[in-house]
Formats: sequence, C-alpha cells, structure tokens
Amino acid sequence: MNMMTPLIAVEPLLSRTEVAGLVALAARRVPPIWPLETAIAVNPLAGYEKLPFETAVAQAAAHMHARQSLPLLQWRQLYREGKVAHKALRDAAMQKLGGIYEAMAPIVPHVTQMDLVMARLLHLPLRQDRYGVAEPSPAAALIAKWCAAFFDQGQAASAMPHRALGLYRAVLALLPYDEAYRALTGAQGQQLLLSVPRDPLDAIAEALVALQVPAGQEEETLAALVARLPGWAGHIRWRTEHADPDVAAPAPATMADIVALWLLLERSGACADASAPASPTDASEALAAYFHITPDMWDSRPAAARTRFAAVAHMQEAQLGFIFMTAAEWGYRNTLVPQLQKMATQKTAPRTADAQLIFCIDVRSEPFRRALEAQGAYETLGYAGFFGLPIALHKLDAARRARLLPVLLAPQHDVAEAPAQGREAQAARYRMHEAQIRHSQNLLDSAKSGTATAFATAEATGPLAAVVMAARTLAPRWLRKVRDAYVPQRTEVIAPSLHHDHGQGAKSCFSRAEKLGFALSLFKLTGLSQNLARLVVLVGHGGSAVNNPYAAALDCGACGGHAGGSNARLLAAILNESDVRTALAEKGIKIPDSSYFMAAEHNSTTDDVVIFDQHHVPNSHKADLDALKRSLEKAGAHNRTARAQKLARTAEDLHTGAVHWGEVRPEWGLSGNAAFLVGPRSLSQSLDLEGRVFLHSYDWQNDEDGTALTTILTAPMVVAQWINCQYLFSTIDNDRYGSGDKTTQNIVGGIGVVQGNGGDLRVGLPQQSLFRDDGTAYHVPQRLLTLVYAPFERVRKIVETQDILSRLFGNNWVTLVVIDPHSGKALRWRCDAEMGADATTASALYEMEI
Amino acid sequence: MTNSYYGDLKLHRLKKIEIVVHAEDHLLVEDMLKAAGVGGWTMIRDVAGMGHSGFHQGKSIFNDQSGLVMFVGIAGEKIISEVARGLARLFEKRPGVTFLSDVEVMRSDYFA
Repeated sequence: MNMMTPLIAVEPLLSRTEVAGLVALAARRVPPIWPLETAIAVNPLAGYEKLPFETAVAQAAAHMHARQSLPLLQWRQLYREGKVAHKALRDAAMQKLGGIYEAMAPIVPHVTQMDLVMARLLHLPLRQDRYGVAEPSPAAALIAKWCAAFFDQGQAASAMPHRALGLYRAVLALLPYDEAYRALTGAQGQQLLLSVPRDPLDAIAEALVALQVPAGQEEETLAALVARLPGWAGHIRWRTEHADPDVAAPAPATMADIVALWLLLERSGACADASAPASPTDASEALAAYFHITPDMWDSRPAAARTRFAAVAHMQEAQLGFIFMTAAEWGYRNTLVPQLQKMATQKTAPRTADAQLIFCIDVRSEPFRRALEAQGAYETLGYAGFFGLPIALHKLDAARRARLLPVLLAPQHDVAEAPAQGREAQAARYRMHEAQIRHSQNLLDSAKSGTATAFATAEATGPLAAVVMAARTLAPRWLRKVRDAYVPQRTEVIAPSLHHDHGQGAKSCFSRAEKLGFALSLFKLTGLSQNLARLVVLVGHGGSAVNNPYAAALDCGACGGHAGGSNARLLAAILNESDVRTALAEKGIKIPDSSYFMAAEHNSTTDDVVIFDQHHVPNSHKADLDALKRSLEKAGAHNRTARAQKLARTAEDLHTGAVHWGEVRPEWGLSGNAAFLVGPRSLSQSLDLEGRVFLHSYDWQNDEDGTALTTILTAPMVVAQWINCQYLFSTIDNDRYGSGDKTTQNIVGGIGVVQGNGGDLRVGLPQQSLFRDDGTAYHVPQRLLTLVYAPFERVRKIVETQDILSRLFGNNWVTLVVIDPHSGKALRWRCDAEMGADATTASALYEMEI
Repeated sequence: MTNSYYGDLKLHRLKKIEIVVHAEDHLLVEDMLKAAGVGGWTMIRDVAGMGHSGFHQGKSIFNDQSGLVMFVGIAGEKIISEVARGLARLFEKRPGVTFLSDVEVMRSDYFA
C-alpha cells in the first residue's frame, strides 16, 4: 500500500461509526499488552482464535513477519533430550502424510515416503534461517518514538507537550518540527500536515478514499496497520479496555489515533514496501543425496513416486515443525492419560487431614504440593489464586489501586489496607521508613535528570553509589538481612481490611450475601471436603526478583500480576466469621468450630512460605501451626533442591538470585507448562507431574448442574490457555512474539521494554525465561492439554453452550480429554466438535498398521 | 407533543436503539455509540436467550467476557441512524441483533 497520492480534497465514503467499527475490529489483530508492573500472560495470537490453529499461525506469521515454528535445529535438540518420543514423531509424520498407505508408499527400493520425512525431520542439513532482532522500518521507528514519548508514565525528565489532545493530534502538532518526519515525507508530508482532518476517525475515512482502498478491504487494511507495531497497539488496547480511567485521562489515545498516524505516513509515501518473503525450501538435492537416489532411478519408477518425493522435498520448516509439536503433544498425552485412568479406578479411603492447604492452580504449586504431602497427612487442593474475590486493593501510600483478580473480570469491590491489628506502632515505623526512601529517591531522580544538577549529583553521590553497588553485587543477602533487621516486614504490620472507613465509621466492604457467595464458591468449585481439618490454609503465591522488569510475570496471574497473599488473607478472615459459618450451615456446609482458616503465601522463587496473621491464631491451634510450619520448611527445602537442579544451580543460590540485582533468571516461572487437570487430587497425587500441570480441584459428584465445571473451564482454563500460548509463541519466535535477550532490553516509559534504544514495545517473555544459557530451548512449545474428570455428557453440554470453549477445542488451540468416572474411558474432543475417538486410539491405530 | 392522557406533560419523540452482542464485543458497540455522538446509554450485562445457534447461557461467574450484553440508547433520529449504519457493518463480521423503535421522553435535553 505504498503509494503517493495527489493532494486533492477527498470526500469520505464511510461514516464515523463505520470507521469506528472497522477500527475496533481491526484492533483485534493484536492482544492487549499489560504494563510491566502487572505483566499478565496473553496469547499474542488471541485475535486469530476464531481460526483453526495451523491456519491462524500461518496468517499471523504473514502479518507480523514471524516464524511459524521453533527452528528444526531446536526441535532436534528436544528430540535428543527425549522431550519428543520417536514413536510419537513417526505417528505425527504419518498423520501428516495422510495415513499409513501414503506413509509406506515406496519411493525407490527400500525407501518409503515415511523415510523421506523422517530424514527431513532428523538428519538433513538445515538452511540457515533468520535469527536475532529485526530492525524496525523508518516509518515504524518514527511512530514508535512518538508513542514512547506520549505514553511515558513519568520516566522522562520532561513530558511531551499537548498530550491532553490525544495521541494523533499531539503528534500532528509536533511533526512539523520532526527532522525524521521531514526526511521521510518531504514536502508532501508538510502539506498533508496542514490539510488532514484533526479528528482521527475523519482522517481515517479520508485516507481510505485517498489511498483508493477497495470496498471490502478496509478492515484488513487497517488491521495490517495495527499489526505493524503490535506492542504499542497492544498497549493502547490495555489502556482503553483494562486500565483505570485515571491512567489514560492525562494522555488519551485510541486505536484510531495510531492508525491515523500510519495512514498519514502512507499518504505521504513514507512506508516502504514490506520485505519479500523468504524463498520456499526445496530439499530435493539433499534428500536424493541422503538416500543415494540418482536421476536415472526415476525412469523405472511410477510418476506417483516422484510426486511423493517432490511433496516431501518441498515441505516447509513450518510443516516439519508442526509435526514435531504434534509429536510432543501426543507423546505427553499418551503417557499421562493412561496413568490418570489407572488412578481413577483406585479407591481412596477418606481420611481426616492434619491440615488442608488450598493452593493456586499455577503449575509451580504442583511440585510444592507433592513435597508437602510427603511430609505428613496433608490434603492439598487447587483453586484460582485470587480465591474468587473480585477486588481492587488500595495499598497504603500507593498512588493507584491494584486489581487483584483475573483480567477476565472487572473489580466489583474496593478494599483498603490498614495497619494490622495490634501492630499499629510497627506499621507507623514501616511507613515512615518507606516515605523516607521514597522522598530520597524522588530527590535523587530529580537531581540526576536536572540539567544544572546532573553532573554535581554524580560527583556527590558517586562514591556512595559505588559502595551500595558493590554491596548489592557481592553481598545482596547480607544487605537484605540488614534491612530486615531495622524495618519490619510489610506483611506483618499491614494487612488488607474487610472494613473501610470514609469518615463515617467503619463499614464492611462486602455484604453478608457477598461473603457467603465467596465462601460457597470455594467449596463448590474445589469440592473441598466438609470433613475439614483443624487448620485450613489458603496459600497465595508470588515470586522474588530485583532489578527485573519481568518481576510481575513471576507473580500470580489470577491476581492480575500481583502476589496472592492479600486475597488469601481476606477470604480466610471471611471464613472465620461466625455469621458466615452460620449462613454456610444453612446451605448445608458445616464448618466445625475446631476448624480455623489461615492465609499464607508461597514464594515460588525461594520456596519459602510466609504464614500471615499468626498472632491471631487461638492457643488451641498453635501446636497444629507449629507442626505445619516445620512441614512447610521441609517441603520448601526439598522443592528448592529439585528446582535448583533444573536451573543447574545450588539450592542456596536460589536465595541469592532472589535478591541479586544482576540475576536474569531467578526461576523458570511457568516454563514447561503443558496441561490443565480438572479433578480430585487423588487422580494425580501419586504422579510426578514435573511442575507442568495446572491443577484445579473438582468433585463431579458435588456439581450436578455443571455450573462449577462451567466456571472452571471458562475462566481458570482460559487463563491457563493464555499462559500456555504466551510461552508457546514466545518460544517459537522470541523476537516477534517474545521480548528477546534481557541483557539488551531497556525499559521505556515505565510501561514496557524495547530492544536497544527504540522500536516497538516488546510483547512476550524474554529469552532467559524460555531458553538455557547455551541457547537451547527449556520450554517445549506444545498446546495445552485439558483433562477433565467428569461425566462425558455433562462436559459435552457445557462445551456446546459456551462459545469460547467450542472455539478453543474446536479450532485445536487446546486438546480436551475427558475421563468418564462411570466407564473410566478417556474420550478426546475432536476438532469437528463431536466427542471422538478414545484419547489413545489415534496413535494406537497407527501402531497396529505399521 | 401532548395528548389527553398525559395532560400538560410535554413529550418529545426520539429514537431508541437496542443492541444485543456477545460480551466480548461490548467495546466495539461503545466505540460506535461514542463516535455517533450518543451521550449515554444503558448496558444490561448477563443477558441470556434463544437464538439461531441455540440457547445462549448467561455469563459464568469468573468471566465477564462470556455471555451476552444488551445496550439501550436513545437519541435523535440522525444519530441513531448513524449507529445503525455502523452496526450493519459490524454484524457482517460479528453476531448480534439490534432493534430500532420510536419512543417519547419527558426530558429531551437528557438525551442530547
């Protein structure tokens, strides 16, 4: 669409609402991108989910110049590591070829079509492919530069003027003085600046006519513009759809603003044509050489053999990569499903646990739960880590509220923090210390960025900064200990409160009915036994990292990229209230007087667990708590050692990494995630799921109408799918769908990172979260496997009536396997939206035919 | 406009538009209403009902983006026709229904 257009007055064909609708549809080409402080996992291809997975990946790759698959070199490495089973790879290759007849078709004597594919997958030399960071075009760099200035959240020393006018108008006002714009667009660009409409919708309507975009092509044209800078476009989506109004009010921007800027550059001829696609692969020569096939051999072969040879020789890397991915998925599924089926047939006698602990569904909870269960009679369950509370928390002394809930929900309640009961003096001391730090930091920041004070500040504070830097580098844990000795722990002295006070006396944040609803959801969704233990602990989680832009990505996704302790504390307090227990009893859920609810937070980086509000524990439960603390400590040590091996470090080193400013990989996060299991813990308790499975507790016998299962599949599973897709796509193309190497990133505007000194906001995970130091992939890019232990008919009804589920399962974004409690049979949801073959049948059939 | 039933009460004739879309599409409709100049609207969340593709459930408790929502907006005919024109394009790509009707309101300035 690079075309110079004459500067004549044009009459728009589309109305403002038509343009608004087209822009809104085009905006879906990219997902919303959350800022760093609340980094939420999103599927970078969320806008393509209405398409079958393979088609979607191909289309997105074309739109965003991205890879469609992990490089074959990486897949071969995963194969050598045993992450892709040989048999599964042959099965997947056979399916790709169209079945056993095609696969076994002879090409030349002793060589089948299958042999050709396997050679291409595993042995043939590979073409050197594109790696590294792609440079943005001059036009993209120009728009990205203005976006960085416009969306700045206080990082810049002086703010961009005219921001209140909106992105498009503010940039229009400054472009006449922009040398880069002048160089790109020349006189035509200057003339256009005088004549284009000042309203972005009107400007788009005019540009569509001026650029002669054919009728019916408008949405695709606009969507292609949106996808040119998916990071900044995604940031706009976050601001308009998910941010609190006060975030965007000083600098309003919509997708129409950035699209209008692109069209301005298009009209002035500043956008160069996209680079030509890479030439398709032809491996004919290499294949022939590998199998010693000489040209004369074809004379005696049927034409079909040559056609089949050519078909394999012309398979592109994306197709071969898809075979590898399918094989990884099948191998994993066909190992796990029979194990779960076996466990489903075994009866476990109910027993009273010493304590029940309800963890977040996060994959990192699974190995910790297993380690804890090994320490004694502990029952563990999985539940969404926000514990069902749709809240925003007003932290003491924080400028903005934090949304502690999944992004699928809008906050329904505002909760405030207050000094913990009985800890008011310590809280005051803590707040004073924090205020001093804050003021000092502000002063230093102002002095550092002031034109008159910058050098003097460096001179004056340089020696002190050097000492601090040396301490942070050489003795970060000692430094942390010194700080902890003088300043109380925040969570010990400040707590979220169930009451708020607006000067007219304390008032409850939640009504009795709301509290009852939160409590009921816990029991209903998890199937938490009414045979409650003396201690029931709600365990949120968060990570630890210093000087790490992606620190929030290690926190709880269900809590909007925050640690989950506050939600756990609130629900525990609610469940200890006597009138809530009375109301629950009226609903048939009896909590014994001997049961006491507590809240805790699992640090997924160090495997330490903090138990909150211990000073409130009744004397009668102190011995129970002491025993639990000892078990948690042992479980933490065990899990830390196991995780350290995966990071190729010592367990002790994980504690150092959690406080070290130079640490680039404090933990593996959710790398390796592969499945989402909905069912009782008894199904998986004896299995080592290697921290790859989201575990959501569910009791099908406690959910006759299927509402609990509907909630689990339409909310926690959807979040798990986002996470799965973010890890998958960030791995297959870390430059386009991820954020690249951490060591060359820079934070921009306090909202995201760029590579080097400019360009688009990076959208996904950094290289260090997915790849080892030697560059090999740690994460296996495979689609989520959802496993549900429930009656077949119940699941079918739910999937058929929930659009989002039929879309995800029907378009192969997620594989659904249902294990029926009555028959013990495992059934797989087929992409034609009917319950299909036995989950293990597909590969078994191939095995028999081979 | 006055009539015998309403006595001295002065009524103003305007247009009403009702729009039912998937909850995940609600921002598309809001963008359109704003672009047309509709000053305000009512949004009813969690609408359920029967349609061409079967029964649409209400939203699930942990996902505001599931289920259907209904918008009700009132404005002058020119503005509402502008909204309808945009919706016609939207419904080429996304599912939804809309109803237009004449209404009478007491405070016309309220819908300006």
